[in-house]
Amino acid sequence: MTRKLPLLLLLVLTAFGFQTKAQSLEEIVKKHIEAIGGAENWKKVKSMKSVAKMNAQGAEVMITIYQVHEKAMKAEISVMGMLGYQILTNQAGWGYMPWGGQTKAEPLTAEDVKSAQDQLSILDEFLTYQAKGKKIELVGKDDVEGTECFKITMTDKDNKITTYYINTADYHIVKTTSKSTVNGKEMESTSLFSNYKKLDAGIVLAMNTNGDMGEMEITSVEVNPNIDENIFKPSN
Amino acid sequence: MIYAGTGESNMRNSVSIGVGMYKSTDAGDNWKKIGMDSTEHISRIIVHPKNSEVVFAAVPGPLWNDSEHRGLYKSTDGGNTWNKILYKDNKTGCAEILMDPSNPDIMYASMWQFRRLPYSFNSGGPGSGLFKSTDGGKTWRELSKGLPAKPFGRIAMNLAPSNPTKMLAIVENKETGLYISEDGGETWKSQSATMNIVARPFYFSTIAFDPKDEKRVYRPAFEFAYSDDGGYSFTNASYEGGWVHSDMHAIWINPNNPNLMYIGTDGGVYTSIDRGVTWVFNHALPVGQFYHVSHDLQEPYNVYGGLQDNGSWKGPSSAPGGVSNASWSRVGGGDGFWTIPDIDGRTVYCEWQGGNMQRVNMQTMKAEGIQPERTSKEDKLRWNWNTPLLTGAKNPRNLYTGAQYLYKSTDQGRNWKRISPDLTTNDKKKQDQENSGGLSADNTSAENHCTIFTIAESPLDENIIWVGTDDGNLQYTNNGGGSWINVSQAIAKSGIANQAWVSSIEPSHFNKETVYATFENHMYGDHKTYLAKSTDMGKTWTRIMSDEFTGFAHKIKEDGVNPNLLFLGTEMGLFSSLDGGNSWFRMKNNIPEYALVRDIQIHPKTHDLIIGTHGRGIYILDDIRAIRDLNKEIVEKEVHIFQTPDIVLNYGRFGWGGPETSGGWYAGNSRTIPTIDYYLKDRVSSGKATLEIYDESGKLVQSIPATVRRGINKIDWNLRSTPPRVASGSTKMDAGGFNAPMVLPGNYTAKLKIKDKEYTTKIKCVHDENNKDLSVNDRKLVYEKSMQLQKLFNQVNDRIDSIAAIQKRLKADTVKFAKNKTMKQMYDDLEKVRSEMMATKQKSIFADEEKLRERISDLYTTFCGMESRPNQTQIEAIEVLEADLKKETENLDRVMRKYVSSVVY
Repeated sequence: MTRKLPLLLLLVLTAFGFQTKAQSLEEIVKKHIEAIGGAENWKKVKSMKSVAKMNAQGAEVMITIYQVHEKAMKAEISVMGMLGYQILTNQAGWGYMPWGGQTKAEPLTAEDVKSAQDQLSILDEFLTYQAKGKKIELVGKDDVEGTECFKITMTDKDNKITTYYINTADYHIVKTTSKSTVNGKEMESTSLFSNYKKLDAGIVLAMNTNGDMGEMEITSVEVNPNIDENIFKPSN
Repeated sequence: MIYAGTGESNMRNSVSIGVGMYKSTDAGDNWKKIGMDSTEHISRIIVHPKNSEVVFAAVPGPLWNDSEHRGLYKSTDGGNTWNKILYKDNKTGCAEILMDPSNPDIMYASMWQFRRLPYSFNSGGPGSGLFKSTDGGKTWRELSKGLPAKPFGRIAMNLAPSNPTKMLAIVENKETGLYISEDGGETWKSQSATMNIVARPFYFSTIAFDPKDEKRVYRPAFEFAYSDDGGYSFTNASYEGGWVHSDMHAIWINPNNPNLMYIGTDGGVYTSIDRGVTWVFNHALPVGQFYHVSHDLQEPYNVYGGLQDNGSWKGPSSAPGGVSNASWSRVGGGDGFWTIPDIDGRTVYCEWQGGNMQRVNMQTMKAEGIQPERTSKEDKLRWNWNTPLLTGAKNPRNLYTGAQYLYKSTDQGRNWKRISPDLTTNDKKKQDQENSGGLSADNTSAENHCTIFTIAESPLDENIIWVGTDDGNLQYTNNGGGSWINVSQAIAKSGIANQAWVSSIEPSHFNKETVYATFENHMYGDHKTYLAKSTDMGKTWTRIMSDEFTGFAHKIKEDGVNPNLLFLGTEMGLFSSLDGGNSWFRMKNNIPEYALVRDIQIHPKTHDLIIGTHGRGIYILDDIRAIRDLNKEIVEKEVHIFQTPDIVLNYGRFGWGGPETSGGWYAGNSRTIPTIDYYLKDRVSSGKATLEIYDESGKLVQSIPATVRRGINKIDWNLRSTPPRVASGSTKMDAGGFNAPMVLPGNYTAKLKIKDKEYTTKIKCVHDENNKDLSVNDRKLVYEKSMQLQKLFNQVNDRIDSIAAIQKRLKADTVKFAKNKTMKQMYDDLEKVRSEMMATKQKSIFADEEKLRERISDLYTTFCGMESRPNQTQIEAIEVLEADLKKETENLDRVMRKYVSSVVY
């Protein structure tokens, strides 16, 4: 019992275990990639269509996400009978949020398009960071909601830092925190991931993401569907 | 890159102890400890302007004991390794360093010999002195020309960045004085100065030049002073921008815009944009240094506490919109310590340092001094700086305080009865406070000793009172003070230092003979966590130890319901035991590792855990009943749902009340709707987790995403059913789709679905008898009318959807549609009906369009949020909406009939 008691609750065992770097960063990344289905399976993914929902006070917000790897993505968001969307491509991006009072799609600034380019990758960041010239560092271990995690920072060429918390037990990402600049304003965002599921394509995805906007659950995923690229243009 | 040295260095008796040096290479997001673990106090860090791997750290070192870890340190590898480059002896540390910005090889260091004992302070000695290096710290020579004869105490000094040979120093001496040098410290001239400039040099150690103007000098001290003539004369800042708290210790002046500056004071951080003439307080830092915390029994209850040099306060545990700065009210001044509400609901007892206590009428804020005075039967009274002042745990009408004697009042401090002899060791060697301070006398009651520090009435018997002193005595009476038994020898046998302060005593809620106590001995340089328990009225004690513990112990708290649940607050953390103290874990989840937990209370009605910290304000952990229920059996289960207490049906205690206009920081409210709690042995990494609520008929009321954290999870159910579906195609968001009526009283079932398993618990929802605006019948009426409106809402959305479906089919064959005028006509006629049924044209939120659906939705939303009987117009309005829906439905039918034979779609 004594051994288990500390594992409860609002609580944790080890604090900041900087001293315990028994496992190398390379080993952690390797195990993480195995946990998400392996690099081979992921490299076959060229496009994806996901249907997700968010729960707001018992009401559902529906989201359909279309992604073409490294080229474009679109999220269609249906809120209370209104349909909005966000589009991002290599060259441009638009947002249309009618519930916020917008009457037509508004373009993203060139800077925002540039800084959001990472989102066009369907692949897990740990599969691509080297190719993108990002650096990773094992900061130590930290606790996320009672779960011991490896804390790894990833720094891109523009010095933007994303911190990954990888479960020491199953090597899945439990949490990410990142800083980004939107319209010149620094924003920090945190997401928690759960409900990891292996898809027919052999890849493993977190079906639930709890982010700044609330909990989003992916209800269905199609891997490599044909996506008409015309949808990546604003319709109004 | 940022380096941070820990441990306060203005050496009052209350300073916090640090754990060394930290470094961040990402602007403060992540910190890495880089050594100097045993330094306890680091007063200044200088990073070489041209090489950020070269760092100097001034280390006064431990306050309470000799130490080799004092001195001036240098690192040339970014803090990985440190070398001591200036050291005198184990009593003398480095208080200040300066670097010449025009030549970083020129450095100045002030060495300081100082020491505190629990009962005295000494600043000054042969170790103190002023030193200069011209080779980057390799060699040092002492500066003395023009300075007074040694010994020195602490030296505050600085140089003018715009002319680094110009220097000022306040040298603590027999006659502390201000000295000016124009030649880089080689020669000094004495300059007369007011008391504000030279007083309390051990405490006010800051003096600064304007970065661009050598004539402009700032002296933050008891008050804020500035000079326009290079330090020859000073003027105090004005309070026109608002009062500024005295006792100033830190200043930062913007080097690019010297008009902008910040000061750190005992009251917080202030900003000036006019070179220190006026100051504005920064309201947004939740860094209160509490000594004690207490609560009353009101709903919502109030929290009370005393702050280091910031008086005594009262604030609500929750308030409309959250607990803002404006929610707090001041109870008393000075250094605040014990702040205790009387059960009469109107009176609060508070104090300032040295036992100056008051009874405050909270309606008028009039305060009466109630401190017991010495009579002919007593020796001179000795009051601790932090004198205990509290009401009884068994009989709250008993008010206690203690000097070296214990006093009791049963009439709110109007009369006192001394109920003990001197309970301390009365060691005369520890009572020479008038000669405390060293070179400068400093006797502000902080060094008072051989005093009572802790008092605790048994919650089971008001005649049992335990008293602990600051000199190691723990005594009790079991006859209301008739006789006393000293158990300190028995405590010493358990391995606890025999002169340690008795920092808290917790007589058990379950057994009169059981008592817990914490002891702290840091004033003798011993930081061990001392916690002990006796089950035989103090005859024998068992020391409770754990590898988890860090920091000396301030407070032990036993839960009033579960005797195995204990909480311990130390100088460096909050710990809990679920098995009566056999094993412990550190509490986290927003309680920082280095929280200085001075006090812990458990509210008997709300079951909240209330933590008073020294430096991080007050924390409340809402409703610990789930922790109480944890036992070995539950902990070993994969999943366990706790019994949800009956839910009183309301939407919480408060409305919003509008945005907070006073600015600053505010705390969120506690949940007033009970959560549905469950325990997970491990995080659920794969597999779905959902919590579903069902009514008695088995109908799904609402499905809620469930959290998957390891440990206790808390799920909020908003007490509503599932909102209705909304038809698409509107140009306006429909709030009705977010709303559903509050459920009716009755029995509900919560099903926690994790992966493929299901765990069930019953939830009883009951009518809110306290809400006089809503009878049981009113509640039924509100529900019935809400559902009537929901039905209308569903109907109008169904019609809109069916119109849209027909329109879609009409347009399916675009060629045919373009040629066929009747189809086009039908489409347009349908559109006319559709656009009467909902907003289809609104272009802006500032040009509102309201059609039938919006009208239904508005009224539906109003009914769903009702917590009082609806008014008559609200009820009658439903009929109007029903009639209008009927009319629009008829219009739709008419269109359909018109085209039934002519259009095939």
